[in-house]
Amino acid sequence: MIEIKNITKYYGKGESRFKALDDVSMNIKDGEFLVILGASGSGKSTFLNVISGLETLDDGEVIYNEEHLEKMNEKELTKFRRDNVAFIFQQYYLLPHLNVEKNVKMGADLGDKDYLKYIEAVGLHDKRKKHPSELSGGEQQRVAIARALSKKPRVLFLDEPTGALDEKTGRSVLDYIIKLQEKEKFTMIMVTHNANIAETADRTIKMNSGKIVDIYDNLNKKSAYEIGW
Amino acid sequence: MIVSLKDGFKLIGISIMACCAVCVCNMFLNFQIDLRSVANQVEAGPAQALYDAFVSTSIVCCACCGGCMLITSVVMLFFYIKHYIDSHSREIGILKAHGYSNFRISRGFAIFAISILVGCLAGYLLSFAIMPLFYEKQNDNNLLPHIPMNIHWYMIVLLIIVPTVVFAFIAIGYSVIKLNQPTINLLKGITKQKDKYTDGKDKKNFVSEMRSSVLKSRKTLVFFMILSSFCFSSMIQMSASMDELASDMMGIMILIIGIVLAFTTFYIALTTVIHANQKNIAMMRVFGYSAMECKRSVLDCYRIPAYIGFAIGTAYQFGLLKVMVTVVFADVEGVPDYHFDWPMFFITLVAFIVIYEGAMFIYGYLMKKIPLKQIMDE
Repeated sequence: MIEIKNITKYYGKGESRFKALDDVSMNIKDGEFLVILGASGSGKSTFLNVISGLETLDDGEVIYNEEHLEKMNEKELTKFRRDNVAFIFQQYYLLPHLNVEKNVKMGADLGDKDYLKYIEAVGLHDKRKKHPSELSGGEQQRVAIARALSKKPRVLFLDEPTGALDEKTGRSVLDYIIKLQEKEKFTMIMVTHNANIAETADRTIKMNSGKIVDIYDNLNKKSAYEIGW
Repeated sequence: MIVSLKDGFKLIGISIMACCAVCVCNMFLNFQIDLRSVANQVEAGPAQALYDAFVSTSIVCCACCGGCMLITSVVMLFFYIKHYIDSHSREIGILKAHGYSNFRISRGFAIFAISILVGCLAGYLLSFAIMPLFYEKQNDNNLLPHIPMNIHWYMIVLLIIVPTVVFAFIAIGYSVIKLNQPTINLLKGITKQKDKYTDGKDKKNFVSEMRSSVLKSRKTLVFFMILSSFCFSSMIQMSASMDELASDMMGIMILIIGIVLAFTTFYIALTTVIHANQKNIAMMRVFGYSAMECKRSVLDCYRIPAYIGFAIGTAYQFGLLKVMVTVVFADVEGVPDYHFDWPMFFITLVAFIVIYEGAMFIYGYLMKKIPLKQIMDE
């Protein structure tokens, strides 16, 4: 369970200081697939970064099974990320000088050492010696997925994972992630601006101007191939 | 124009190197020319021996210091050009896609010679500031007749204009070679790199994989790291060991040059490797790798080259001084025999370990300060 209590985050200084997150509170259940929906500048990515320990918060509490994120120093935050979470970003952030195998090893060394099965699972076994620049966008994102999943995270954070992909590749990547989440039962928190993707989640929160403006459960969950794009 | 004048001025390492090289060469060459002008006034006996020793020493110093720094400057230039092309591959790719030829793009790299011009000019002026004291110290026992200090204008051509022009041509030539790759590779930032195919049997952990990848991708930095420790080791031991063989002035000069060379190359190597791997370090930190693991993966690969450089430097300074005593000064009377200076070796080794490991520790600490999200958002 992730408890988020009255979190506030400011950016900038002096007159340019503004509230990116404004007194946000909510709970996220273990094994839940949550989508954070919002337009550009709504605070959804800041929310993700703060609750994942990538950024510090200015006020409030983030509690993972009684562990307070806001009280952790840099070293403790690093250990927290190491033991609990993994990330998938829109820009993939693969290490350009390392081939597919070695990029996946980055996550696997902190989790499941048998990295080859993750490469096989994302269908890149034949391309495991290729470098990121030799792969398509969809393939690169699949490497990022394999890297994140091989870490065996308790919580997976995804920031616009299909944002840079075309519809066909995007659907296939999304389908793969959703099926894995259902199988492995890890908590998944995804940020997106695509309202259609929210239909695949257990629950959706809508953000605007740093606040949660709506939360609703999806009673009729759809697959990645059933939603509009 | 893809390369601007501002980029040329950024190559501060080359300027420092050129400054030291020209300062040393101009001082010794000027001194030798002025010394030769009083050759017919030198008396036979000890004065003649001292005259011969000075002429030989000047050539050795010019060749060793000037030559060493010249080679380093050329390597630095290559390194900067390669680094520039790697970090601006997309812009260069766009130019090539629009039909610009390699030569037309490469012409812009001639501007990098500005760093040599600035360094050479500074070194030339600096040498004249030190020269009166240098002349006085060289002849402080008055064995030789008064050596007048003259300005030889052709040295400006030899030590400033020629190096600048040569470096401009080297920059163009080298960049033409480096740009000779498919436009699509430049646009996509693809660099040629082959990994050993492991087929899942490789037991190396990620940090080790990262370490060998960093080492392979930045081979020039290995040279800088070896050179840095080589200079530190050889110049410091040499300056201390040659107190009976040369003047204090010479010892101090060698010491200063050694320290400048060592720290310039060391700084360039470390800052470049960290800057080039900033995003990789940030990503490792995001995944939960500690700052110490990041340091091990990015910086520790240079430890062995650094200590190898130290060992080579020790052997080099011993060999050079032994050759000077037994060959160059063979006919000069009263030159003491040279033996390896063990106490100085241990002092230099301890100083090297403290400085090297201390710098690595500081840079490891600085890695903690790399802002994670900001770097990824760039």
